[in-house]
Amino acid sequence: MSSIGFECLNVRYGAREAVYAFTDHVRPGEWLCLIGPNGAGKSSVLRAIAGLASHRGTITVDGAPLAARSPRRRAALVAYVPQAPLMPDDMTGMEYVLLGRNPYIGYFASETKHDRALVADVLQRLDLHEFAGRRLGTLSGGERQRLVIARAVAQEAPILLLDEPTSALDIGHQQQALELVDRLRHDHGLTVVSAMHDLTLAGLYADRLSLMHQGHVVATGDAAHVLRPETLSEFYGVSVSVHHEPDGTVVVVPRRNATT
Amino acid sequence: MLAGRRISNRWWLLAALGLLAGSIALGAMVGPAGGIRSANWHIIWNIRLPRVVLAGIVGAMLSLAGASYQGVFRNPLVDPFLLGAAAGAGLGATLVFAHGRSGTVDWPVDPLPLAAFVGALAAVMVTYAFGASFGGTGLTLVLSGVAVAALCTAVQQFVLLRNSDVIEEVYSWISGRLSTATWGDVRLVLPYVLVATVVLLVHRRHLDVLRVGDEEAATLGAEVRRVRLVVVIAATLGTAAVVSVSGLIGFVGIMVPHLVRLVFSSSYRWVLPMSIIVGASFLILADVPGRAFEQGGETPIGVVTAFLGAPMFIIVLRSKRRLA
Amino acid sequence: MKRFTSIAALAAFLLTATACGDDSSSSETAAPTTDVATTDVATTDVATTEPVGDVPQAIISLSPTATEMLFAIGAGDQVIAVDEYSNYPAEALDKPHDLSGFEPNVEAIAALQPDLVIMQDTKIKEQLESLGIAVWIGPAAVSFDDVYAQIEQLGAATGHIGEAAELVGQMQADIAAAVAAVPAGGAELTYYHELDPTLYSVTSSSFIGEVYALFGLVNIADGAQPGNDYPQLNAEFIVEANPALIFLADTKCCGETPETVAARPGWDAIAAVQNGGVISMDDDLASRWGPRIVDYINAVSAAVAAAAVEA
Repeated sequence: MSSIGFECLNVRYGAREAVYAFTDHVRPGEWLCLIGPNGAGKSSVLRAIAGLASHRGTITVDGAPLAARSPRRRAALVAYVPQAPLMPDDMTGMEYVLLGRNPYIGYFASETKHDRALVADVLQRLDLHEFAGRRLGTLSGGERQRLVIARAVAQEAPILLLDEPTSALDIGHQQQALELVDRLRHDHGLTVVSAMHDLTLAGLYADRLSLMHQGHVVATGDAAHVLRPETLSEFYGVSVSVHHEPDGTVVVVPRRNATT
Repeated sequence: MLAGRRISNRWWLLAALGLLAGSIALGAMVGPAGGIRSANWHIIWNIRLPRVVLAGIVGAMLSLAGASYQGVFRNPLVDPFLLGAAAGAGLGATLVFAHGRSGTVDWPVDPLPLAAFVGALAAVMVTYAFGASFGGTGLTLVLSGVAVAALCTAVQQFVLLRNSDVIEEVYSWISGRLSTATWGDVRLVLPYVLVATVVLLVHRRHLDVLRVGDEEAATLGAEVRRVRLVVVIAATLGTAAVVSVSGLIGFVGIMVPHLVRLVFSSSYRWVLPMSIIVGASFLILADVPGRAFEQGGETPIGVVTAFLGAPMFIIVLRSKRRLA
Repeated sequence: MKRFTSIAALAAFLLTATACGDDSSSSETAAPTTDVATTDVATTDVATTEPVGDVPQAIISLSPTATEMLFAIGAGDQVIAVDEYSNYPAEALDKPHDLSGFEPNVEAIAALQPDLVIMQDTKIKEQLESLGIAVWIGPAAVSFDDVYAQIEQLGAATGHIGEAAELVGQMQADIAAAVAAVPAGGAELTYYHELDPTLYSVTSSSFIGEVYALFGLVNIADGAQPGNDYPQLNAEFIVEANPALIFLADTKCCGETPETVAARPGWDAIAAVQNGGVISMDDDLASRWGPRIVDYINAVSAAVAAAAVEA
């Protein structure tokens, strides 16, 4: 299990500051979910961790700066599930998940028996073994999403980044995917950082939420603390009512106003 | 299921090797001088066999380079003459034809292959320099290649207009030819082709990683820029070498990888080696009609491959439509 | 792993094959070879040829001009095949004449078992020599000296030295006569030599330009595109230059005649058109440099004489 530290993280695209002085510490095994309106900077934080966005400030994993690592070493520490993964139609499931082993294969080497066995095992445990020989183009959105997660698992990285993992899925597959991530988190001791639009789901699965607005973190804490009608109204510009279930689940319900 | 697939891959590989052996045999046996009899052995050895071997090498290299480019630019329409290699080679050849009007070689080294080789390499280097300075992504490189190719072609046209008596020769060279193949040509290209082949085969796995896009590949630990640079250098080196002796033989580099993917697998770990074998067979076979059946002359091989290329494109199109 | 070994085996085979493949002329052919100098003839130096041992009896000519020369010096019987464009003399058409001089098929040529192959360029020279077949290269002439040198070399190569010398002497005499037939003095006439209907022309630095120079004719294309001996002229430029003589070398290929030329818009203002100075020439004669150049020169002589009368 690994911790992630952020020290004054700044991400800038051209003239625009996407993330401003982001400072946080994610405990080992914690699930932090970034929420906030479009353009708040959630994806940019994830991309910075994944090494896809140049940034100022430091990101550390277990205390050691991430930027100093080689791409392969970083890939062995951080697995990134993008919002819209590129899945070649004519690649098979097995080949796709096998890509997750890339950080462990030498430049001039190829996969070993161990790599293949590990991937087969991952597919088995995620109930995806029947898709091993199937081409990605023949699979449904939900099946493909699970394969991306399988690929991330095959990376054996202690940190998992999920950028909008459920946006393209129906409600059943949403639950399936998030349950899977949670199970993996406990099985493998993963530290998860995700960016999500669905506030209820975010509160249901994440240990902690951080609400971002225009590059700044404006609220952080558990679901009950962050998901408040006045907070959401201020930063999302939305009108909601928040219900607390007996089991502690925080449910955010959009409201139609008679008056403005 | 995994084991079963691997066994069938081996069978396909054997079948492809068999195809190659058959092509070489057919190429060696067919020709205007007749079959292999001892009286003709001198012709077979000095004229026909170098040509068959060169066809194999050129076909293999162009297919391998085409497949590699398709992998590194993630674009199925890419061929080994991308990035300006063809235009640069054509310009080099045109300059030699325009300058060496006497028709005989009074230089110690035949300037034609040298100029074509240098032209191809120079064009790609300029393309890469431009493309890298504008971001170095696949798209900027391809666009840069288009610009360089346009420039080379324009200069070439200008030179041809000023030396219109060599237009026929230049055109003939551009159409691609194996009719002047000698063992010397084979010796000339072999080192470059071998180096390029080894480097490209080593990078098969990396091309597979690149299939998920530059960004995801980076998050999987791939060094995208370095892989792209090395693959482009190796593929261009091999392409420039074969172009310098055979001119611009089109369609092989773009079609053979697609055929291999269609019949076999899209994984570059298989596409690259199979492209080598199938590409060699293809060009050896394609060379046969142009030299064996015409009574006294030759049909340039570039014309034959173009003839074959068109229906093949249609086949690939139809298969893609079925998948979609 | 298996793939690498198969590729390595293929590479090893290729390397040994090329090492064994010898492209020097270590031949085992029984055909007699002639020791012929294959130097560049398109210079003013006449290359000396070695005395010949055996005379070649199986000559293949891939050059229409060389074919004419061979038959003219009496070597026609030694020719076994010619290229597709060798159409003169008529005896040449009795030989197999479907070889391509432009895209030569080496195997087809070698299968005919020649002992001397005559060509205009060096495209397949190396391959023929590797089979031990003698090769003679006769590129396009740039001067009359080249023409005579080529005829003499062919004479030496085919055992017709005497006939060759005689032919050269005859040609020189005929040319001198043709030049003398034109009255001297008078203004220097201008001319335009047309290669094709898109107005490609030649300058006086070309070989055919030298023919016209014998008569003191002035080429309107000189200086039109400095550095380019085969410029494409502009119609306005031609009309403006108002040549006294127009020689059409595109009559056989493209059907141009004095009438079609006169019909071109604006061309009726040209002196040549008005005074019957548009002369149809034979495309072949204009593009070759063989013995029949004398015929060409005679035609030019007649045209100049007629035009001089007009002037």
